[in-house]
Formats: sequence, C-alpha cells, structure tokens
Amino acid sequence: MNADKPPAPAGEEGAGTAPAPKAHKSDKIGAVAVVGGGIAGTQAAIDLAESGFKVYLIERSPSLGGAMAQLDKTFPTNDCAMCILAPKLVEAGRHQNITLITNAEVAEVEGVPGAFWVTVKKRPRLVDESKCTGCGICTQRCPVEVPDEFNKGLKLRKAIYVKYPQAVPPTHIIDQEHCIGCGICQKQCEAGAINYAEKDTILDLEVGSIILAPGFQEFDPGPKKEYGYGVFPNVVTSLDLERMLVAVGPYGGMVLRPSDGKVPKKIAFIQCVGSRDRDINERYCSAVCCMFAVKEAIIAQEHMPGLKPYIFFMDLRAFGKEFDDYYIRAEEEHGIKFILWKVSNIEQVEPSKNLKIVYEDWEGNLKKEEFDMVVLSVGMRPPKDMEALAHRLKIDLNNYGFCKTPMFAPVETSRPGIYVCGAFVVPQDIPDSVAQASGAAARAASGISAARGKLVTVKSYPEEKEVADEEPRIGVFVCQCGINIGGVVDVPAVEAYAKTLPGVVHAEYNIYTCSFDTQSIIKERIREHRLNRVVVASCTPRTHGPLFMNTVREAGLNPYLFEMANIREHCSWVHSTVPAEATEKAKELVRMAAAKARLLRPLRPISIPIVKSGLVIGGGITGLNAALGLAEQGFDAYLVEKESELGGLTKRIYFDLSGEDVHGYMTGLIEKVRSHPRIKVFTGARLKSFSGYLGNFKTTVAHDGKEEELSHGVVIVATGGDPLKTEEYSYGKHPGIMTVLELEGKLARQEIDVSGRKTFVMIQCVGSREKGRTYCSRVCCTETIKNALRIKQLNPKAAIFILAKDMRTYGFREDWFRKARDEGIVFIRFDNASKPAVSVEGGQIAVTVKDRVVGKSLKIKPDYLALAVATVPPPDNLELAKLLKVPLSKDRFFLEAHMKLRPLDFASEGIFLAGLAHSPKFIEECVFQANGAVSRACTILSRDRFEGEGITSQVDEEKCTGCRTCEFVCPYGAVKVDPAKTKAVVAEVLCKGCGTCSAGCPKRAITMRQFTNEQILSQVDCLSGG
Amino acid sequence: MSDDVIDAETLDPDFKFEIAKQAGGENMKLCFQCGTCSGTCPVRAINDKYNPRRIIRMALLGMRKEVLCSDFIWLCSTCYACHERCPQNVRIPELMMAIRNIAIREGNIHPVYTSYVTTLDGHGRLLEVGEFENEKRIKLGLPGIKEEAARVRKLFDHTKIREKAAGKQADEKACKTEGS
Repeated sequence: MNADKPPAPAGEEGAGTAPAPKAHKSDKIGAVAVVGGGIAGTQAAIDLAESGFKVYLIERSPSLGGAMAQLDKTFPTNDCAMCILAPKLVEAGRHQNITLITNAEVAEVEGVPGAFWVTVKKRPRLVDESKCTGCGICTQRCPVEVPDEFNKGLKLRKAIYVKYPQAVPPTHIIDQEHCIGCGICQKQCEAGAINYAEKDTILDLEVGSIILAPGFQEFDPGPKKEYGYGVFPNVVTSLDLERMLVAVGPYGGMVLRPSDGKVPKKIAFIQCVGSRDRDINERYCSAVCCMFAVKEAIIAQEHMPGLKPYIFFMDLRAFGKEFDDYYIRAEEEHGIKFILWKVSNIEQVEPSKNLKIVYEDWEGNLKKEEFDMVVLSVGMRPPKDMEALAHRLKIDLNNYGFCKTPMFAPVETSRPGIYVCGAFVVPQDIPDSVAQASGAAARAASGISAARGKLVTVKSYPEEKEVADEEPRIGVFVCQCGINIGGVVDVPAVEAYAKTLPGVVHAEYNIYTCSFDTQSIIKERIREHRLNRVVVASCTPRTHGPLFMNTVREAGLNPYLFEMANIREHCSWVHSTVPAEATEKAKELVRMAAAKARLLRPLRPISIPIVKSGLVIGGGITGLNAALGLAEQGFDAYLVEKESELGGLTKRIYFDLSGEDVHGYMTGLIEKVRSHPRIKVFTGARLKSFSGYLGNFKTTVAHDGKEEELSHGVVIVATGGDPLKTEEYSYGKHPGIMTVLELEGKLARQEIDVSGRKTFVMIQCVGSREKGRTYCSRVCCTETIKNALRIKQLNPKAAIFILAKDMRTYGFREDWFRKARDEGIVFIRFDNASKPAVSVEGGQIAVTVKDRVVGKSLKIKPDYLALAVATVPPPDNLELAKLLKVPLSKDRFFLEAHMKLRPLDFASEGIFLAGLAHSPKFIEECVFQANGAVSRACTILSRDRFEGEGITSQVDEEKCTGCRTCEFVCPYGAVKVDPAKTKAVVAEVLCKGCGTCSAGCPKRAITMRQFTNEQILSQVDCLSGG
Repeated sequence: MSDDVIDAETLDPDFKFEIAKQAGGENMKLCFQCGTCSGTCPVRAINDKYNPRRIIRMALLGMRKEVLCSDFIWLCSTCYACHERCPQNVRIPELMMAIRNIAIREGNIHPVYTSYVTTLDGHGRLLEVGEFENEKRIKLGLPGIKEEAARVRKLFDHTKIREKAAGKQADEKACKTEGS
C-alpha cells in the first residue's frame, strides 16, 4: 500500500516556505481515493472498481457501513437495512481493485486533478488486519465493558471488539482508552493477530481523483433542555429507537422504556428537533426525518403490537418516489396519528416517568396527552471535524457547514479533481445518496479516463484440469471457526465421519478454513490427493463462497466443482444449547454436501463482447448530460429526442432561485453535445424496434423519413416528464388562471402586470397527492415560491397567498420558504377534505379557502391564480416500456431494480434510467442522476468482454414445447422462446441463476445448472438415510 | 356574506408591514404557525381567548380592526416562555408590545392599562404605598417608602401618555369600519 515516494525536496518540512510540488511518474493516474465508507462511498468505490480504476476506500472508523449499518429497516420498502447493505460491503471488501484503508483519516491532499498525493494517517488497531478472522474469542474473554457507541450507549461492548456483527472488514480493534492491558486477548487469539506494539502508519497514495463521502453526524438534542434528552430517561432520539428495533440491538428488537424496561403503549415522535429552527446553524430542513419517523412508527408497531404512535409535525415531507403512499398507509392502515403541531416542551410525570405533551387540536382546543416514551426526530449535521479537513483540502463549505456544490455540477467541490456525494452535500436519503455517489464516480473517472485499466490487476489462473470423466475424489474441509463452530459441534468427529462417505478421499479440519494460510493448505491438498471436488463445511456461502471458489480455481480446478455446507448459521449458532444434536446435524449437512458434490459438473460462464457505445433516449438536461458523460469517457453515444429541439422542460425554465442562468447553461450544454465527435444526435426521432441484450443491443431509429439501425452496448432512459393538463380550479375559464410554468414564462416575458395592488393566489398540489395520483411532484412548492419571490421583487406591495397541503421545501430550500414569509407572502394550509373552491364570477376569479387557525374562510378575489400542476410521466412511457421490456411503477414512471440501492438500474442488465423518467425532481438532481447513469453504464462499457455467471439455466430442446412459462416468470428477461424453433433460448449472460424458470416449467425441460433435480434429490435422499 | 367567511377586501395586506416597521414586530412575518407559542403560554392555558398563534395569524392575514380593537393583545404577561422556544425567533412579547403601540395610536387601550397610567401618575408607582404598608415595613425592619410622583409626571408630560391612555388621540378610525 505504500506507494513509491520521491525524496522530499530540502526545506519541505520547514514552516514559511511553500513545499515544492511532488513529482509524479505519469500525467494521469488511474486511481481514485474515496473518503468515507458509508453507503455512498461504497457505491462510488464499486462503480469505479468495476470500471477499471484502482480505488482506495478510506474509512475513519474500524469498519465500513456508516449510518446505514445502524438502521433496522429502510423506507419506503421496509427492507432490512443490513440485508441490502452487507452484500455491497462484502463486494467492496473483496473486490480486486479496491483497497480498504480503515481506521484511517485523510491528513493532506496535494497536487492537481489527475495527479494527487493523498496522505492518510492510519491509527493502530493493535490487531493485525491480515491475520484476524473476526472469530470473536477475544471479545468473549475480554474483562472490560464500556458503553457501545454503535448502539448509542444502550448496550455495552468490550475493550476489544468488532464494530458490529456483520462488519466489513470483520477485523477487531482494541479501544486503547479503556484497555487495561491484561493480555488475555493475545493469549486467546488462535490466529496470533494481537499486536500491542502497533503504531500509527502514514500512507501516501497516488491518485487521479478524489471523492469525499464522509456522511453526517446526528444532531445532539441535549442542549435543548426543553426536551429533556439525557435527563428524562424515556426521551430518546430516532437513532436510539432504531437501535432498539434492530434484532441484535440492545433490547433484542423490542421497544422498551429505558426507565423501567416496560413495554410502552403510547409513543410520541417529535419532528424538526434541530431543524427548521432559529439557531443560525439549524435553519435548514434535514429532509429525511419525516420519512424515518413514519418508518419507525410502523416498524415499532410491528414489533410491539398494540403500540399507539403519534407523530407531531409541521409539514410532512414525503416528497420522494412512492413516499406519500407510505404516509397514507401509515395513517389509514396502521392507525398512526398525525398531529399538526410543533411540540415546544415535554414535562416528566412522576413517579411513572411518563411524558406529558400539550398541543392544540384542529379546532383550537388545548389537549394534554401522556406518553410512555418520546422519540425526538433529530436532524443531520455535517460530519464531525469536517470543517478542519475541508479547510486543509481547500473545499468551500456553505453557511451550514455542508459542502458547496454548483447547481449544474452537483458532485463537484470548489477544488477541481475533488468530488463529493451523499449527506455531506445536503441531508438526503439513501437512494439520492447512492445515485449521487455513482454521479461522483462518473465525474471522477471522466478526468482520468485515459488512464483506465492502467492500475488494475487482472487475475490470471492456471489452466483448468479436465476432470469431468474422472471418478469423483472429494476433499472435505471442516472449519472450527475458532469457537463459533468448534465450541458447539464436535468438529473432529465430523471430520472422521466425512472420511467414511462415498467419494471422499480426504478430510481434515482447520481452525479457520477462510484464513489466508489455509487457502494454501487447501491448494496443497488438492494437488497431493488429486482432488477433483471440494467441500467446505463452515459458514454461509455469503461470506466466503467466492473466496473458496477462487482458491479452487487457483489450484487448477473448475470453481463450480465446489460445494459448501453451512454448519455455522444453520447449525452451531442456532443449536448452541444442544451440542450433541448439533454435531449430528453437522454430519448430515456434510453428507448432503458430499452427495451433491459427487454430481457436480464443471461450468464455464459465457463471455460476450461489448459494443462500446450507448443509446440515450431523451434529449433534455438529463439525456444531454448522460450523452456527454459517456462521450467524455471515450464511448460513443446516440441521443434520440422525439421533439425537433433539444432541451426538454428546461426550455420553460427562465430563472432560478439560485440566480443561475438555466438557458445559458443549456445553450452551452447543447453546443457541447452537438459538437462532440462521439455523439450523434437524432431529433424528431422515435424508436421503431429494439432487441438484443447487455452489451449487444440493436435499435432502429426513425427520423427524417428514414430508418437507421444502431448497435450499442447500453441504454439510458431519460424521457422526462410533462406538466399535467388540468381542468380543476376553473383552469381555462379565465385568462388570469394559469399553471406555475405558464406564470414563470409570462413573468420572464413581462406579460404579467404586477403593479399596484395586484393579488395572486397560488394553489399547490393540483393533481398531486390525490386519489388516482397519490405521489408528490416534489418541485412545485419551491417553484411556486420562486415565482412569488420574483413577483415581490418586481412589486413588494403585491399580495400573494400560497395555498398548500404541506410546504415541502426540503434541505436548504427551507431558507427560501423563510424568505417568502419574510417578504409577507401568506401561506394557508388545506387538505383533501377542505380544498379551496374556485369560481369565475362576472370575469372575476374568486377563491374561497378555510384558514383553520382563525377558524374562518377567506374569500379572495385575485387578479391571477397560479396552479401548481403535477408532473406526470409522458404517455409514451407505456409504449417505450413495452419496447424495451422494462417495467413501469404504479404511477407510470419507470421502475428501477431496487428503490434504495439501485435507483438508476433496471433489473434487465444494460439498461439504466435517470431524471424525471425516474420521478419528479430538481435540475441538480437530474444532473447527478444523469452522471450516475453514466457511471453505471461505464461498468459495462469499460470492458471488452462481459463474463456471465456459471450458474445458469439450460434448455433440453427435446422436452421443451415452447409454452413460454419460463419467459413470463423470468425477472431478468433472460429466457425467451424463439418463435422460429418454438423452443426456449437462454441468454446466459443475463441469467442470474434464480431458478424460477426451472421451478415453473411444466415439462421439466429447463433446469438450473448446479441445482439440477438429480443434484437436489440426491441431497434429499441423504436425509432419509440414503 | 356569512359570519364564517371573511371577504379578503376587508383585510389590510399592509398591516403586517406596518407591524414589521414597529419596534418589536420585525420578525412577525417569519411565523409558520407551528403552535409552539400557544403550547407554551401560561395565559393561553387558562384562557383560550389569548392565543398567540391565532393573534399572529390574524395580523398576518390583515385583520387589522379585529386585532387592534381586541382586548386579547393586552393579555400577554411578558413571561417570555414563548420567546425562549419560538423556532423562528418571532419574539412574541415584543410583538405584542408593538401591536399595542399601534393600537394605542388608533385610540385603543385596555382599561387596565389606563388605570396603570392613572396610578403611576398619581403615586409614581404601580402599587400604592400608604401608611398601612409603611407600618408593616417598619415593623419588619425595612425603611419606609415615600411616594414620589414628580419624576414620573415629568415623563408623562413629555410623552403625552395621558392623552394616549385616555384614547384621546384617536380620530375615530380603526374600530369603526364599514359593515362587517
């Protein structure tokens, strides 16, 4: 890891003189340093590693995972956070091109884009990373207990510990502050990994680009004495509650009152603690708290049936994709009470230690409620100590301490070559952080794309031995895993038993089968005993399956001649109280594995050439950025736009709150795209046909009366959105009634007379958040304020009323909401049950709306009425979805592979989406999604060939009748019936080996390799004594 | 028009700006109706006639007459609890002062305040100290208090407070608006 460092020029350490720049060997370095190992940093690292760059993933704490690792579930899918996060962490941990540098911080950065020196200070763990297997004996024996920070102090940990059970790396660490130096851990460690003498290490990394993804820290509500956090035991923060909800957390997944361990019946969530507040550092909105409070209320109720959650809020900001559906379900199906009220203080009731909250109901009556527990939904602050680092790195921060990014380049910092993503840019949720992380990866790669592939190692393996015709010679390796398995299962007995099984010619047990030196032993045994099948009885294949397959391959065997028996998660860990039975079960599992191993066949994954170009569908700001992004990374791009002009909806955006010139930017962008030699633009064009698969698509485009066939490797869908055409609120019945976009246009062209005492009414959520279209169109609250402020600028005396269901000015946009109020704009809240009534009487618009605080209706006669109509998916989406064979969501936007962690991918490989095609969003969000889709596409385009999986399905054409069941059930579009043959054909490169086709086929004509009927049944036979 | 509907033409859209220009009222427009003040206010807890959130809302909407002629703007005890907690720093006690000052200019004043002025004018202090009180003070070892109204009266002469307190400066606007 220590890169070669040229000798420091004389006088470099002296103060006062600027150090001479260090010399670099090449002018662009094909490596990237990613600072921060949370979900954003990990995503960026994986994208880059998959695109041919070397990545150094630097994490301050001992393991990857960040804040997401602390969550129980994620909204709005209620996925288990660890279940979806861990595979990404494991992938990053064992990726060939990623070097993890944990327990480390960046000290300095010098150099220029394309050639940086990053100095990293790595603090000592006192545990050798190359030796520690994470078995945990040391933790068990350590005598020191201290509060566990990961569990928010609700649980204890030892002085030697691993950050959390599923940590990557699972390497333990000694907390030097609390270690008493007893030496027990060193004595107990079977791997000899403890090293008390370890010191700080300084590493110098040579990289071409840097990505900052340092995340955030939780707002500490302690100083807000009115909430009693830290004094009243039953007042907790959202993160405290999250840890309680986790099954391996302090209370085993139960929600319990900290004061007496009793189960709470009524629990209150208080929103906006430390957000939208008057302290100059707390004025912004933390964007995610509304959603995570709803999530926690739902999950808490799931864990503790009968629990009654109340959520006290000011605006419920459920602005993301399908978030409003989640909110509606919470209220209607889960009975969670939502109370519009900011809780100002909490009183503790003695002796119960319950908490009393006073609020006003909808009618204005004062109510008192007593709760068993209160959860403070705290905001997100910039990460700890980031200000100092930003200063050293010369990165500009905004007034809240978050990273400043330009509107049209939302992943760039003020320092060229250093990019940024995730919560450090602005509080944002996981899907936005992940998409932005991919965006940062694309921009980081773009500048150094000439150096792609230079620093990555391509693994080479010995030639595979032909063993298919040999008698099976099975080697069984049984793992003790320290005491994890060995402490329950009689491992030597299992080893002895294995030797008796048919086909087994060698068996042994190891303390840690996964350790580095055991891999050498396995290879040696394969040679010694001419093994042609390997069985490892240890943990779940999820942890070390790929590792063992790699070892087997290194020994010259086909990696699919390998089988695992899980005698840890499926045995020792769940049967720890009955060791004798556990041992018998372990033997049975080994017998089953050996039986299958006898029937294993070598599998050779298919590899296909990749056409190094991309088709971008849609020529708005998203499509243009995507095409340019591909081109700048050295790939050809075809941009297809159905209108005769490029630009999409931006043609109707004349000014922005930031003061940026949208049309000026677009003109420049369009010019760049049209003049780029790698981009071919088709306007007035439509797709006529589409076929093929990952890396090899064929599309016919019709334009100018002719048709052209294009060959390309990937597709990016950026088809945008349209404003809803409405008839609601008397639209069309008066020239003064218009949409927000129409108003913007007229203001820009000075067609609105705002002089004198003009009155404007602006109604939000027209067509959004209704039955039939439940989603929020996300941008309208801000866009309406934009128009309103423009009017006030032209005439401060203009009277403006904004009628809204909630004001969803999230993140730093909250500042504009505040400005609007300060300018005297009046905001009136309504809901679906009390919508404003609009009529046109004698050429005059009349708007009647009830103001609930005053308890009376207001009848306003405005000169102008602006309607914030919904952003809807273009009707063409239906046709395009059919053509590309990709799904649409229930709201007819395109549906991604996974809402949280794969927002820009379709389940069908090689096709990506970005921008409004995904869901309504702002310009900066469109841009980073466009960048993100480019990065995802480059993980494919950067290869010459793409290797599929070995475990794929195969068709027995004799049995196949072409019924198309497999085609209908395949989630990846990997099997289709060839109409000419009336037989199913598998596109092996797309097949993920899920087995659904095999299960569905009525003729048993399609089977899964590695999981054939014969193989599975042989395992079943073992159970019945076979 | 029914009792429950306010015609916007009777509202004064400049009222909030007028308040903003008055010392203490600068931040009123920032109010986003969260309810913190009403939830904290000890006066509201016993008398829902005084509801700071509603008062601010009425002022923001422009219900000038209702606000200035009301007696509820005089009920704030200036305990400052809301001021401590308001998330937008509206500074409500000071806002109430600002509105009161505008009200007085229009000739509206709560009788209790008038009596404060009268008492101060007569005794130089809000609580009279007579023989009875002084006897008690001396018994407890405290010095007696001599009422001195001269200085206060000088201030009153200078600021014309007696006229304002009596409502004499008003020229019959504000409370007497057309229709309702």
